[in-house]
Amino acid sequence: MPERETIYEVLQKRGVTRRDFLKMTILLTGALGLEYSQVERVRVALETKPRVPVIWLEFQDCAGCTESISRSQNPTLTSLVLNDLTIEYHETLMAAAGFQAEGAKEAAMEQYYGEYVLVVEGSIPQGAGGVYCTVGGRTALDILRETAEGAFAVIAVGNCASFGGLPKASPNPTDAVGVMELVTDKPVINIPGCPAIPEAMTNTIAHIIALGSIPELDYLKRPMAFYSHTIHDRCLRRGFYEAGLFADSFGDEGYRKGYCLYKLGCKGPTTYNACSSLKWNGGTSFPVESGHPCLGCSEPNFWDNGGFYQGQSAPLQRPEVSVVGIAAGAGVVLGAGAAALNASAKKKAREQAKAASHQKEEEKEE
Amino acid sequence: MATMSVTEQALNTYVRETGGWIASQLEACTRCGMCAEACHFYVATGNPEYTPIWKVELVRRAYEQRFTLIGKIKQALGFEKPVTDEDLRHWAELDYYACTMCNRCSMVCPMGIQLADLIHEARAGLFEAGLIPSDLKAALDKQIEEGSPLGADDETFDDRLEWIEDDWDVEFPMDKEGADVLLVFSSIEIMKFPDNLAAIAKILDAGGVNWTLSKEGREVTNFGLYAGSDELEMLIADRVIRAAKRLGVKRVVVSECGHAYDALRFRAANLRGEKLPFEVVHITQVIGELVESGRIKLKAGAFENGKVTFHDACKIQRRGGDFEQPREVLKILAGDRFVEMTPNREEAWCCGGGGGVIAIQDADEVRRAAFTIKIDQINAAGATTVAMTCSNCRLQFLDCVDHFNLNWNVTGLAQMVADALVEEG
Amino acid sequence: MNPSDLMRLARGPLFYFALLFFIAGMLYRLTRVVGFGWKKDLTKPKKSKIAGSLLAFVKSVIIWPFIPRVEGSLKRNLVAYFAGGLFHLALFLVVFLGAAHMLVWKSLLGFGWPTLPLPVVDWLAAAGIVALLVLFINRLVNPVLRTISHAAEYLNLLFVFLPMLTGFFLTHHLLLPYEAMFALHVLSVDWLLIWIPLSRISHFVFYFFSKAIYGAEFARRGAQP
Ligand code: SF4
Ligand code: SF4
Ligand code: SF4
Repeated sequence: MPERETIYEVLQKRGVTRRDFLKMTILLTGALGLEYSQVERVRVALETKPRVPVIWLEFQDCAGCTESISRSQNPTLTSLVLNDLTIEYHETLMAAAGFQAEGAKEAAMEQYYGEYVLVVEGSIPQGAGGVYCTVGGRTALDILRETAEGAFAVIAVGNCASFGGLPKASPNPTDAVGVMELVTDKPVINIPGCPAIPEAMTNTIAHIIALGSIPELDYLKRPMAFYSHTIHDRCLRRGFYEAGLFADSFGDEGYRKGYCLYKLGCKGPTTYNACSSLKWNGGTSFPVESGHPCLGCSEPNFWDNGGFYQGQSAPLQRPEVSVVGIAAGAGVVLGAGAAALNASAKKKAREQAKAASHQKEEEKEE
Repeated sequence: MATMSVTEQALNTYVRETGGWIASQLEACTRCGMCAEACHFYVATGNPEYTPIWKVELVRRAYEQRFTLIGKIKQALGFEKPVTDEDLRHWAELDYYACTMCNRCSMVCPMGIQLADLIHEARAGLFEAGLIPSDLKAALDKQIEEGSPLGADDETFDDRLEWIEDDWDVEFPMDKEGADVLLVFSSIEIMKFPDNLAAIAKILDAGGVNWTLSKEGREVTNFGLYAGSDELEMLIADRVIRAAKRLGVKRVVVSECGHAYDALRFRAANLRGEKLPFEVVHITQVIGELVESGRIKLKAGAFENGKVTFHDACKIQRRGGDFEQPREVLKILAGDRFVEMTPNREEAWCCGGGGGVIAIQDADEVRRAAFTIKIDQINAAGATTVAMTCSNCRLQFLDCVDHFNLNWNVTGLAQMVADALVEEG
Repeated sequence: MNPSDLMRLARGPLFYFALLFFIAGMLYRLTRVVGFGWKKDLTKPKKSKIAGSLLAFVKSVIIWPFIPRVEGSLKRNLVAYFAGGLFHLALFLVVFLGAAHMLVWKSLLGFGWPTLPLPVVDWLAAAGIVALLVLFINRLVNPVLRTISHAAEYLNLLFVFLPMLTGFFLTHHLLLPYEAMFALHVLSVDWLLIWIPLSRISHFVFYFFSKAIYGAEFARRGAQP
């Protein structure tokens, strides 16, 4: 096996100067959320760690996360992740296709067994043996199982890969699940969102390939760096929320004044994501800022957590009038039954009392 | 059939008597305990067991354990204790000794629960179980057998009336055909306040009322009500009702007795299950009508000794509605020397002697303790004369005035009115 | 099961079930009580019983909310008056005029209404919690309340306390992550909905019976309720 190139060496070959490399190191350190004192650590890592490839698989998805990552606004990171080092196989982005592409993937999997990073976009259907999603005649289930086996870690991007997303929405006809339901023997990192925030994806990938470690995760395996606060925590409309100033409908006075969108169904309070701090399109805006309530797209059961415009606190199901009627009817019927039982108890008591007083009278007469 | 145990008899009563009226009120209680502060027995003694709703506890337990699913579950799990004979004896003391059925508590209860009626219900079970206090029982038996709890049997009654007629110079028409009004006395008046009998006779005569007494229905006192026995209550009330029907009167006037008025005016028709063919009114109302219509004239300012106040009797005022007539009369008689106690009218404190309590010797201590509230009230009002329209209250007042060595003048309203009648020439 | 799943369970099927149980349970209880039968009153009332009942309601709601004003009874029941009154007031305002709660009603009823500013709701909630604690302590130390209380009375307090406490923690992001607290909050409400028909908390229904009886009874006897 040939001596493998380090990341620095790869960059050098592409004409990156030492000066540019050091700059990149500093930027990367910042992007990874590390302190300035860690620059040295990052530099050493980039200089000594062999480059590892990323294999990007798509299953039941819309390629929205791919769209998203391709619009990452951090040039250094984007080019680092997308162009310079890593992505060995990506059905949507790579030029190669067909058996050639599959061949490259298999070669990478073999060469970098135990080291490559697997990124999954889209959910995996389990129903009917997995036939609802096949690539080259093989089911997504199969492909995932095989590819994950040699991976160092699996990154699930988007809500579908993380939690099942839209395909899993009730009634979940394909029995779709997220990656973590299937891959349990190695680190899985979820970067949910619909789509995921590009910086969240690039940074996480960069973290793993640069530092060779898994970033700190929350209980849903989401990187703390991006998912430790809710939208609501850092929302620019928060002041209005606290003051009880709400938009009651789209376009009303409160809406025009920029009031809180809670009553329009904003899911910000229960949604962990970095939209309200990183924002989108290079920090231009994010949904709540541009006037739409947060949909809660980075949370499990995104599609089944109540209507988009229904209050975040509202119950998920509203009993139909007929169901309420049945419950009420059942209550009345049972109550009437109890009343009948009670009436017979009363009757019995009355008879007993009568018998007792008869007896008393008889005794008296004797 | 095997005889029922004491407990079963009591519970049996609760079971058969529980209707929606009782059930809904039992269900409404939030157990906030506020009713305690309305009850003179609790306030005077501080004994938490005198909390009105606690006196209903047996009824509640019977209700929950016999009628409700959750009560049965609670009982199975041991959260609800079954009622024992011991419990019954304990509650017999609470319910007979320490409740005058004054219903003051219902006014303080945030839910407005008619606690006096529920306690009456509690007594009903205790009565069936034979746990009525012995002196109350003796009086009750006497009333059933001789017609009067205080021993005014036929002979005594005649003797007393004759004596009063002679001494007070009045006449008591007996079973007079064609009378409009049947007047019925309480045994307390007959035996202890003969002047009251005379006073009422004078008032009715002065007002030109066509009235009569009746031998059969001479007494309206109702120990059946005190005891908690609907059956006996009806039996006793029936004597008056029969007499009234036979005489064909339009009106039955109950003299100065509160519980008798309650039994006849507000309960009898419901117990019998039929409307009464005559009107039942209290003498207070009659006096009010006569004064207002000018059929009797009172000497203004007839009352001269210090200040007079009026004691609202539970069954005639709070539970009978005759608040204003006595006050109008007292204003005529005493002018601004008529003073009110606070609180008064609906909110008035009970004297502590009603509900049969005064007939129970073992209850003397609590009964007198309860009266201390009245002492403070009357002293605060600065009155030395107390007028009232209930002989039972009057008996309690007299007993306590004596016991506490008070320097008060206790009197009945009718008597004050009779004394102030202006003869028209 | 993670907080998110728990939240879904609590807001979804459990709430659905609890709500139906509540409706069925209350109607069961109501029917059972009404089914005991009512005797017709054959005595001649002194005043109109209907007017008396209405007056009883008007007085108890408007003049002094729910707690009758009888000379001396305020002074003698200070804790029950103020802690009890404050508790009910806070509870109703928060449950109906808190924005998050209004959205629940809206999703169930199909229409909404204006709400109170969060700080106001927040203070009310805090006041309600304090009032409930005071009521609890009072029940522990007041001899009357100790005498008449059974285990159920303490459980009632606890089961009402839980939603209030979790709700407060929730808005203040205390102790647990928002969604976990949210799940607990809804769970405690679900349980409360089931508990109410089984307990004396249902007094809010029978209140209408006892108060009507009270008014009718006083009017029948010629007194003012
Ligand atoms: S708009 Fe949404 S995220 Fe922003 S403050 Fe309102 S509820 Fe919170
Ligand atoms: S009716 Fe009167 S005596 Fe009886 S418990 Fe109530 S306040 Fe006390
Ligand atoms: S005041 Fe009324 S609600 Fe409160 S404990 Fe007494 S009876 Fe029950």
